Amino acid sequence: MDAFTDNRNLQLLSGNHAVAIGAKLAKPDVSPVYPITPQTPILEKMIELQSQGQLDTEILTPESEHSALAASISASLTGARVFTATSSQGLLLMHELLHYAAGARSSVVMFNVNRTPAAPWGFWPDQLDSLAQRDTGWIQLYSESPQESLDSVIQAFVIAETANLPVMINHDAFYVSHAVEPVEVPSQSMVDDFLPPFAPPIKLDPEIGRSFGSPISQQNWNQSRQDIAASMSTIGKLVATCGYQWGEITGRRGYDMLELYRCEGAEIVIVTMGSMCGTARVAVDVLRKQGVAVGLIKVRLFRPLPAAALRETLATIPCAIVLDRNYSPGSGGILHQELKSILFGMDQPPKVHGLLAGVGGVSVSPEKLKQLVVTYKDAPPSFEPAWIE
Amino acid sequence: MQEIVILGRGGQGAQTAGNLLARSFFEKGQYVQTFATYGGARRGTPVTSSIRVDDQPIRLRCDIELASAMLCFDDSLLDQAFLVKAENTTPIVVNSSKPAQYFKELGDYRILPVDSRHIAQSNGMGKVINSALLGAFVAVLGQPGIDVLCNVVEQNAPAKKEENVAACRQAFNLLRASTMESS
Repeated sequence: MDAFTDNRNLQLLSGNHAVAIGAKLAKPDVSPVYPITPQTPILEKMIELQSQGQLDTEILTPESEHSALAASISASLTGARVFTATSSQGLLLMHELLHYAAGARSSVVMFNVNRTPAAPWGFWPDQLDSLAQRDTGWIQLYSESPQESLDSVIQAFVIAETANLPVMINHDAFYVSHAVEPVEVPSQSMVDDFLPPFAPPIKLDPEIGRSFGSPISQQNWNQSRQDIAASMSTIGKLVATCGYQWGEITGRRGYDMLELYRCEGAEIVIVTMGSMCGTARVAVDVLRKQGVAVGLIKVRLFRPLPAAALRETLATIPCAIVLDRNYSPGSGGILHQELKSILFGMDQPPKVHGLLAGVGGVSVSPEKLKQLVVTYKDAPPSFEPAWIE
Repeated sequence: MQEIVILGRGGQGAQTAGNLLARSFFEKGQYVQTFATYGGARRGTPVTSSIRVDDQPIRLRCDIELASAMLCFDDSLLDQAFLVKAENTTPIVVNSSKPAQYFKELGDYRILPVDSRHIAQSNGMGKVINSALLGAFVAVLGQPGIDVLCNVVEQNAPAKKEENVAACRQAFNLLRASTMESS
């Protein structure tokens, strides 16, 4: 019966509590957070850790998410390490300041729990809340498990503070946020070895006359976006390097822009993000056993989109089904749109099927995924997405 | 892999019960995953807790469609939407003072009522029934064992530790006796 044969520091943690512990280990100076279901356990755990003397951060609980992000940006620009967390309506209320956070080159790390936006009201896993923020200039990572969420929070601080761009890490409501499972908690010294202190060369300082966000000319505004573009072009490599170095320290490897699961010789791949990747692994294993050459491309880094890596991977795979747990009305699944866009100009692009699977938090079983692979493997490509019941 | 579903009403402790049961399996060296799903945080609305137990890491992230065992905190929740996850042989432990015969009209299911309210009250637990129900449920499951469960209940109960453990053991013994009789 004993499955654990090693002495790793495994603790039974929910995804949200794993995030709070990851944040604690990163030692943020300031944490402005406004509670919202299903993110609230992150804030609750941080307050508990702080009250126990385990977390030395200034937790601010202002009157709204908008103010929480305003405080986060301001603190970050003074050179403070900043962590915040939100979900759905809270993220949408932050929208104006999401642009500001990136434009001002803050290094805020935010954890967002993916939840359906109203109306109608729902509390279910759906990635529309964060995907609707794709143009704000934030780096976006999507996590499959509580373990990955903890590890990604720590890596995100290195990414944000190296690139001077804010990072948003996302995990699905309930399937990850409330999933309690064994999580390996790294030691403080592992994190300290990995994550250097935040020391931005340019910061707000009363001793130095300087301001951020002043009115500027058209050319300077234009230049600010070209500067962001230049930084964005470095993120893929940075994400890969961080993942590799964290793997060297912890032994947990594979954190990269994309993860290719059993893609060797694949005739068809599932492309998706977040919690559905776990279920897809099970479906892939069963189908491989039955002789179907299927793999999974897990998109971990969504912004910047790892276009070159996706093109290279898809150059040898004839068919891809994209599973979107989100819906952009009048268009379709957002990952599907993105994937189609990067195929432009390829000599032999794969057939791509956009499948709206799990929108609104609908459960997607491994049996359903197996059926989809079999159904779409030899189907003609369609520009329109298909709703999966 | 075992897949277990617990159904209750917000405030009854179904989510806590799921966490305690998962922790008991974890203490015995098993990989576990448990998650609760609920709407707005309101007392009285249905809450589902799902638990997976395996000897290797669990990767599935979807609802349980067919449970290997089920626990229901309120017999008024015992409807087809819940029973669709059960086969005829799936043990379904339900908190109820009604006899098993009463549930025959629901179909050919293995429904095992336990009057956990009575057990909780007789052990000074008032309306808090989850420790008793867990004891009964573990008797039916045959694992991870009453001792590990009682340890976990004792470590995690915010108050009335002895009463919680006593209710848990009493319900375990009651169900173990009755399931042994019927088998």
